[in-house]
Amino acid sequence: MNNAVSRETHDEYVLVRLSGEVDLSWSQQVRQEVLAALEQSNAVAVELSEVSYIDSSGIAALVEGFQNARGKSQQFVLIAVSTAVRAVLELARLDRVFLLFPDLETARRG
Amino acid sequence: MSVAPAAIIPAPGGDNDSRTLALLADLSQALAESIDLEQTLAESARRIALHMHAEAAAVFLLDKDKLHLECRACAGPVDVLGLRLAVGSGVVGRTLTENTGQIVNDTQHDPDVLHSIDKKTGFRTRSILSAPLATARGPIGVVEVINKRDGGEFDTHDLDILRLLAAPTALAVRNAHMALALVEQQRIKRELEMARRLQKSLLPKRRRGKFPLLGINLPANEISGDFYDYFDLPDGRIAFVIGDVSGKGLNAAFLMVRTASLLRWAGKDGLAPAEWLARVNVEVCSAVNEGMFVCALVGQYDPVTRHAVFASAGFPPALLYRNGVFEEFGADGPPLGILDDSSYEQREVALGQDSLYFFSDGATDVRDADRNTIGEAGLRTLIKRYTSLPPAARLRAVVAELQQLRLVDDTTVLLLEEPAPEQRSLLSFSLPARAENLYQLRVALRAALDENGIERNLRDKLVLAVDEAAANILRHAYRGTGQGEIIFKLTREADGLRFELSDQAPPVDVACIKPRDLGECRPGGLGVNFIDALMDEWFIETLPRRCGNRLTMRKKLTLNPGDKE
Repeated sequence: MNNAVSRETHDEYVLVRLSGEVDLSWSQQVRQEVLAALEQSNAVAVELSEVSYIDSSGIAALVEGFQNARGKSQQFVLIAVSTAVRAVLELARLDRVFLLFPDLETARRG
Repeated sequence: MSVAPAAIIPAPGGDNDSRTLALLADLSQALAESIDLEQTLAESARRIALHMHAEAAAVFLLDKDKLHLECRACAGPVDVLGLRLAVGSGVVGRTLTENTGQIVNDTQHDPDVLHSIDKKTGFRTRSILSAPLATARGPIGVVEVINKRDGGEFDTHDLDILRLLAAPTALAVRNAHMALALVEQQRIKRELEMARRLQKSLLPKRRRGKFPLLGINLPANEISGDFYDYFDLPDGRIAFVIGDVSGKGLNAAFLMVRTASLLRWAGKDGLAPAEWLARVNVEVCSAVNEGMFVCALVGQYDPVTRHAVFASAGFPPALLYRNGVFEEFGADGPPLGILDDSSYEQREVALGQDSLYFFSDGATDVRDADRNTIGEAGLRTLIKRYTSLPPAARLRAVVAELQQLRLVDDTTVLLLEEPAPEQRSLLSFSLPARAENLYQLRVALRAALDENGIERNLRDKLVLAVDEAAANILRHAYRGTGQGEIIFKLTREADGLRFELSDQAPPVDVACIKPRDLGECRPGGLGVNFIDALMDEWFIETLPRRCGNRLTMRKKLTLNPGDKE
């Protein structure tokens, strides 16, 4: 299990990169990273290509980020969403709530 | 026609046209009601002669060979019933070949009039009126009247009347022919049904309880060239047979019955499968018609060692399904009935808890929607799709799918598999009630589900539901204290899987635990929705003496109900 969360700056975007299995044991850490990224920039992207599992607590961290951003008119997008994550987003009917992009470049172009 | 004056039919009275219409109505009704063709035609001939003021009338029908006309009914002084004329012979023949009515008032000078019959009987044929029995497919016979009783001549008006009266007669004959064909069809159908039942009676009855063999036979038509069999040997082993006779129809069915009997007879001796086939091959070679042969596979299974040994005579390779992977077991040897000195290879398989499938080529020749054969790959896909079901339900599900496609040949599947107990524990362990242990739970659960043939997509959904359930226990039952443990059990039931998560936390308020409205976009509270969506059933109970809670979730593994074996 290689759970990891990191933050990188790409021009105007702060990219939160997640990998591993996001579950209750560290979804709080994911939440904090997402909220910190929104403090840092008006445009945040969460990269999910390396996430092989996510539970409802991980989804809740993303929803909180999305709501925070919306309240402050910030940009909050999910990019390169893995099949596992997409399946859970669909189950929660959130696949049409979040803005999903294949990569950061496409997110930039909107 | 040869006629000796005897019983002259009396002339009726009344207006001609209304009498014709009345006769037509009566005749049509009589013909419609009659179910005896000969009686109907005799009645027609009598009424037509009477109405046409003729001394005699006859109805000739075309034979099956289409080369002769035979008198099937007559009225008048001379009995010419059964008289056969070549098509084209006489005025009757001319009527048929030209498919038009004929008026002959000068029989002495008409070249087609047959005088030979008159010579035999002394009767004098002065005039003839005839009309074809017309149908949409051409004439099927001729109706003929002889000699006006007043000595007068037949005219075109008479011919019109005769043609009018011929129409319902033709219709009645056509209907009778169709009825006969229908009766014949029904007879053949009954005989085929009897043959099918006979064949079915040769198949072994399904053994209930802990019996490791199951078979299904789907004939492509009424009768099958496929068969299977199994029977006990005195030493406790079970012998099994599956076969496929070349060709179709009754010949194949007879050979199937014969070969199935021979295989059972020779198999009772407990010979090694290779010898068993060799012995039966000699018998089949001496009995089989040129160009016919039988593909067969015979074997024995030892329930004690769980080993199967088998040999094949041109039969498709057996498929062993073990831990999600197929392994093919061919056993070369020519089909039975080709060479009487053939020898056969033997294979042995350690079955354990795995599944060994034997199938006739009909199973792989099934056509998909694009009319392509599904092949062995298609069959493997089907088996894999239902591998989580118990054997009988699995075979029914596979066969139901095959039936939904297009069977082009008899299809038979024989499955050798040790029956699993009704309920089998697949996974059971306890974990400390801490979030960092959820990963172990997921890993163990994935492995158990993989091992039991649950396909990946369903496996991931089930893992998510169990993980959500465990996370809810940590947060809401144990309130995140990290104290206590979760006892997890995964059980295989007859129709699916049961997941149980027990804790020693204070009793939870079950009424508070329900899915939330997914219409609101807010973090949290999704776990119960996931469980609700992914499982077929879930409930929470307080454990006895209020010393904990148990969450039970059930997932049914789908099969097609109502499929017949």
